[in-house]
Amino acid sequence: MDLKNAIVRARRGLREERRLYVVAVTSLAVAFICLGATLLGVTNLDAAATRWGQSGRITVFLKDGADAQDVAQLRVVLEGLADVEAVTHVTPSQARNSFLEEADVGADLSALPSDVFPASLEVTLVNGVTRERGESIASRLAQFRAVSDVESYGAWFQKLDQLLWGARMLALGLALLVMFCVVAVIGNTIRLAVARRRQEIEVMKLCGATNGFVRGPFVLEGMFQGFASALVAVLALLVGYLALHESVDSTLAALTGSRVVFLGAWTLVALLVGGALIGAIGSAVSVRRYLSV
Amino acid sequence: MQETKVVRPFPFFRAGARASQPQLSKPILVLEDVYKFFRPDQPTLRGVDLKVERGEFAFITGPSGAGKSTLLKLVYRELTVDEGRVLFCGRDICRLTDKSIPFLRRNLGVVFQDFRIIDHWTVFENVAVALEIVSMPKRLIRSRVAEALERVGLAGRGPELITNLSGGEQQRVAVARAIVPEPALILADEPTGNLDPHLAIDILTLFEEINSTGTTVLFATHDHSLISKRDHRLISIDEGRVLESQQGLKHWPGSGIHTMAG
Ligand SMILES: Nc1ncnc2c1ncn2[C@@H]1O[C@H](COP(=O)(O)OP(=O)(O)O)[C@@H](O)[C@H]1O
Ligand SMILES: [Mg+2]
Repeated sequence: MDLKNAIVRARRGLREERRLYVVAVTSLAVAFICLGATLLGVTNLDAAATRWGQSGRITVFLKDGADAQDVAQLRVVLEGLADVEAVTHVTPSQARNSFLEEADVGADLSALPSDVFPASLEVTLVNGVTRERGESIASRLAQFRAVSDVESYGAWFQKLDQLLWGARMLALGLALLVMFCVVAVIGNTIRLAVARRRQEIEVMKLCGATNGFVRGPFVLEGMFQGFASALVAVLALLVGYLALHESVDSTLAALTGSRVVFLGAWTLVALLVGGALIGAIGSAVSVRRYLSV
Repeated sequence: MQETKVVRPFPFFRAGARASQPQLSKPILVLEDVYKFFRPDQPTLRGVDLKVERGEFAFITGPSGAGKSTLLKLVYRELTVDEGRVLFCGRDICRLTDKSIPFLRRNLGVVFQDFRIIDHWTVFENVAVALEIVSMPKRLIRSRVAEALERVGLAGRGPELITNLSGGEQQRVAVARAIVPEPALILADEPTGNLDPHLAIDILTLFEEINSTGTTVLFATHDHSLISKRDHRLISIDEGRVLESQQGLKHWPGSGIHTMAG
């Protein structure tokens, strides 16, 4: 196939059918924005989960009347573990103070007595310790005499995992839907373009053009539409991200300690290349069907 | 007839292949006992035998609906025969695969009554398309198109839009497109049907000039005023059969020709 000639013809086609193609690209861009927004959600959830998953934490709540000797022994044991990075002893009054600081509740809670807050050991695990390892350490810690309760945040992680799984499924479903839309919409515009250029096609075939020569420009036009739709969507999402991320960031940082991130480089590449590829497929299927020769 | 003048820039039927010497010495077109049915009981062509030598100019005539267009379509493989064979340069084109048909058509130039040129393209673009499909370099295309436009009397008119041209000029553009790849055979299907009588003579003369450089021309027309002005070979189709005269209408055997081709 003569690529240079196909590009020249495709450019001409894009110029001549620009109204038709602008409509197609606009509607497909909306579809891509939905997909991109979902992917943005997945990316952020994933980033948060990774961050929290890596900085593993175990909170060991101590019994009210725990023997100081037992607590000290527990600390020694904990600090001896290779997986443990640091152990901090939090007294009830420290716990009360940090709670009052963080919880920005309107009501006046300063009357809260410190003995509603149990003393605890905050155990920070070494970066990269798996969640399973954290769980097993937590279950062993529960057997110590001074310990009343151990929180390893397992249930919380499970919830996050479920959320992440749901978001991924949603993104996958949307991706399939968008794929279908691209094939259908581009297939349809190419069908119209083929009908409008029937005369030219007939002339080219009469002069001895091969099927590939006739089809090439249409495939390129479909490819361009797919790519342009994805690009418009990515740019729209980027503009939205830049406009909103600062205000969202401060809230999110206070809530979870993480920041909003934009789509990763590979996701962007996948969106753009995928858009172009599916566009090309959609138009190839369409010309094959409507350019019977 | 001078075979050396037939320039054949394009691969013969398939990429990379050239017409061999034996192929060049064969008649350019042979129809052997060709049948074409559009309805099972009534064949449009019945047992057509025809031989066209290289460099010939022949009229194909017959009343409307006689099957002139059908015969030409069999040659450029718009249609396939139901029985018999069509040999182009000794090769049976009915057996060509769909993939090979473009390579057959690059050896043919076809001109129609309704011009079949693209209105929103320029004159140059309409002619150049016949060379672009074979991926010829741009510079070569420019010089060959200019040359072809000169041959049809449209020198320097390349940048003009088709809509600004008269009917006769539009048909000249179509002729330029047909001759620009320098095909061995030109098929003209009533090329003067939409033109005034004096323009019709101009176009006929143009085809004769093309023929004088060695290109074989089959000129289908039902216009007797045109045929009677020349002494070319006359192939007449009537009721699906071919009747022939080697030297124009005057030498037609018998007197039935006027009612037959009327
Ligand atoms: N595609 C077709 N389908 C059915 N009948 C056809 C078709 N093409 C031609 N015919 C019939 O074949 C006959 C010859 O047509 P054509 O070759 O166009 O005649 P001419 O060109 O001599 O006027 C006509 O009767 C026409 O109705
Ligand atoms: Mg006809």
